[in-house]
Amino acid sequence: MCCPGCLAVAQAICGAGLESYYQHRTERSANPEAMPRVLQEELELYDRDDVQQRYLQNSQSKQNNGEQPHIQLLIEGINCAACCWLIERHLRAQPGVIDASLNMGNQRLSLSWQADQIKLSSLIAGLRRIGYTAHPYEPDKAAEQIATENRRYLRRLGLAGLMFMQVMMATMALYEEFDQDLTEGMAHLLRWASLLMTTPVVFYSCAPFFQGAWRDIKNRRLSMDVSVSLAIGGAYLAGIWATITGTGEVYFDSVTMFAFFLLAGRYLERRARQRTVESTARLVNLLPPSAVRIQPDGSSLRIMLDELKTGDTVEVKPGESIPADGRILHGNSSVDESALSGEYLPIAKRTGDPVTAGTLNVEGPLQIEITALGDQTRLSAIVRLLERAQSDKPRLAQLADQVAQYFLLTVLLAVVAVGSAWWWLSDLSTAFWIVIAMLVATCPCALSLATPTALTTATGSLHKLGLLITRGHVLEGINQITTVILDKTGTLTEGRMTLEQIQPFDGHDAEQALHWARMLESCSEHPIARAFGRSVQNANSLENVPGQGLQGDCEGHTLRIGKPDFVSALGQYPAPPYPDAPGQWLLLGSASAPIAWFALNDRLRSDAVAMVAALQARNLRVVLLSGDQSPVVQRMAAQLNISEAIGNADPDEKLAYVQAQQARGEKVLMLGDGVNDVPVLASADISVAMGNASDLAKTNADAVLLNSRLLTLVDSLRVARRTRIIMIENLTWASLYNLAILPLAALGMVSPAWAALGMSASSLLVVLNALRLTRVKVQTPQQPITSAVEISA
Amino acid sequence: MTVLYILVPIAILLVVIAIWVFNWAVNNGQYDDLDSPAHSILFDEDDPAHLAAQSQHDDQPATKTPDDKSL
Repeated sequence: MCCPGCLAVAQAICGAGLESYYQHRTERSANPEAMPRVLQEELELYDRDDVQQRYLQNSQSKQNNGEQPHIQLLIEGINCAACCWLIERHLRAQPGVIDASLNMGNQRLSLSWQADQIKLSSLIAGLRRIGYTAHPYEPDKAAEQIATENRRYLRRLGLAGLMFMQVMMATMALYEEFDQDLTEGMAHLLRWASLLMTTPVVFYSCAPFFQGAWRDIKNRRLSMDVSVSLAIGGAYLAGIWATITGTGEVYFDSVTMFAFFLLAGRYLERRARQRTVESTARLVNLLPPSAVRIQPDGSSLRIMLDELKTGDTVEVKPGESIPADGRILHGNSSVDESALSGEYLPIAKRTGDPVTAGTLNVEGPLQIEITALGDQTRLSAIVRLLERAQSDKPRLAQLADQVAQYFLLTVLLAVVAVGSAWWWLSDLSTAFWIVIAMLVATCPCALSLATPTALTTATGSLHKLGLLITRGHVLEGINQITTVILDKTGTLTEGRMTLEQIQPFDGHDAEQALHWARMLESCSEHPIARAFGRSVQNANSLENVPGQGLQGDCEGHTLRIGKPDFVSALGQYPAPPYPDAPGQWLLLGSASAPIAWFALNDRLRSDAVAMVAALQARNLRVVLLSGDQSPVVQRMAAQLNISEAIGNADPDEKLAYVQAQQARGEKVLMLGDGVNDVPVLASADISVAMGNASDLAKTNADAVLLNSRLLTLVDSLRVARRTRIIMIENLTWASLYNLAILPLAALGMVSPAWAALGMSASSLLVVLNALRLTRVKVQTPQQPITSAVEISA
Repeated sequence: MTVLYILVPIAILLVVIAIWVFNWAVNNGQYDDLDSPAHSILFDEDDPAHLAAQSQHDDQPATKTPDDKSL
């Protein structure tokens, strides 16, 4: 057990007899100390009826006559299946809980309970005790749309799959090759039956292809959708003609099979990308859900955030987020603005200073007069910048659509030429059937599966490596990248203070000094204090002087820690000069003499150097772009061997810089984490957010580095390159197959049976080739690490 | 072979039923989470330790309340 927090969680789990969680879990759980604190008082707000009403699911409560509320909670801290089991078991064991089921994909818990037996707040508090944080989830439009879209896709796929099997059964009897010797009436029945079953597939399942084709034709573009629609539409219309007249071939089996293969490919690609993406844009998460308002009579009342009005006075305790933009009325403190500016040290604030929504109050209690709320805040201004950047984002060309253009042109020209040749040599009806046979035979099934299958498998293997891809263009686009822009705080560094060095003065022991420093800092929420780690004992009569340091009694000594002047003032001795080394230096001293210097720094991630070296070895231009002060940025750039480094950049300037690079023709990949990076992330050709980034950054990035291991990015480059090779192989093979069968179809030698066989065989080959992408990755995840280390060494 | 005149319509009827059942399942959210059910069967529903703790918990529900305050 590393800390009291973990111990409490383990005790709660074992106390409920749920030890088998520890046998089954495959990932280590998150440190409970690192999770946001949930106040009991705030939880009780969720018991209020008017508050609950916002989150309750109406449809569900109607079914249950409104007796049992049903709510969706968003759970933080889920790492593996064992977590899901633990949460569900824990909740079901509570009296009054009717049902609890957790969706691991989107980390949403759907919960129904009896309101008269147990309160929602105590259920959430119980989850907190076993180490998970839960927030009521208010479904937004976008997430709902994605969910209905997914279901519609699945219905289309299911319809096509079931119909495909039935149609195949009916049409196989018609194949000449099987020589069934059917009577005319029987053949008629089978044709009509398969037409009946193909019709819903064409009109319902294939609707997205036709819509896409129409859109592309309007934009004067030839895409895969146009080619697909032409094949399906042509074969279907010819089939109707053949059914009514009772002459000629029906290709209904090919139509339904084609529809099913294609829909399956697209559905899988979609699902691979959407695994955890659904956790929607939750900007509100930066803001606290509630605030403490100071009433005109001086009493304080906790209210929901949206009940707050401009001009209200709110109280913000240390460790809480500031709910809205405002001005400090009373109190001195320092405020952690790292989410907005990237500056990792808290900034001292006094009465009269402005504060920004979404930043964290670190040291002392503050009373703030609200000046701007919601859309008017600085935070929202960044979101608007983000929207602008998104609309300006350049689109990367997709390989499949490029190939489709050439392919479609070739096929159309050939069809027209061959068709008119047959018309001239023979008659119109022969020419018509030849044209249909050519359209079906060259139907780009393998061609249109070539890229989705490769992308799906690559997305899956990258997810295993730790890179979650949320937008489709990443795998193709990453190969075209020329410039990599890195953010500093939280991306290259760990984004929190760590203790780097202790320099004790003569006659003092480093161990003892650290022990005392821990006792002093143990109660503080300041990021500097956290660097010292938790202590079992606390100092007595602790005093916090914001911006200066702490004073307290440790084991009989009165000690101070903080700025040298503050510490030396305790004993009237001159402040010792700062040691000559970079970092943030803190002095610990008693009334008689200084005891030790502590050096704190925001440490570089262990693989930052290796990653930069590996990127440069691939001839990529690496740029460091940070909102932090220039000297710090320059020093870090030197350490990492990056020649271009820009400091002091605010979100506007960062965006302008990236757009200037893009105007010069560079393809930019941006790796960042904070809210201040969000507009840049949105404008970069490819954006990658760190796993511990703010939600806003994560939902707007094209990919998320789940494990925050920087070298995964290098792995991803390698996987992307392999994916591209596989895609080109697939496209080449599919085009060759189609070109080879074209002359046969032109000579009238492709019957429906051969068309179906050729289509399945070539599609199968393409899929198997794409599956190679899963196998390779599992064997060699470690390889790039060693090679990268060699380069850096 | 005349039996086909009956069998083909029956086949169509069956596939319509199958599609209806599939749509019902999709609309009911049966396919919304394809990850966790695969793992959930691995966990023992009737873990003796868990059952014991649960019955204990049912006997003394009051023991939980002090913890709520300590949060």
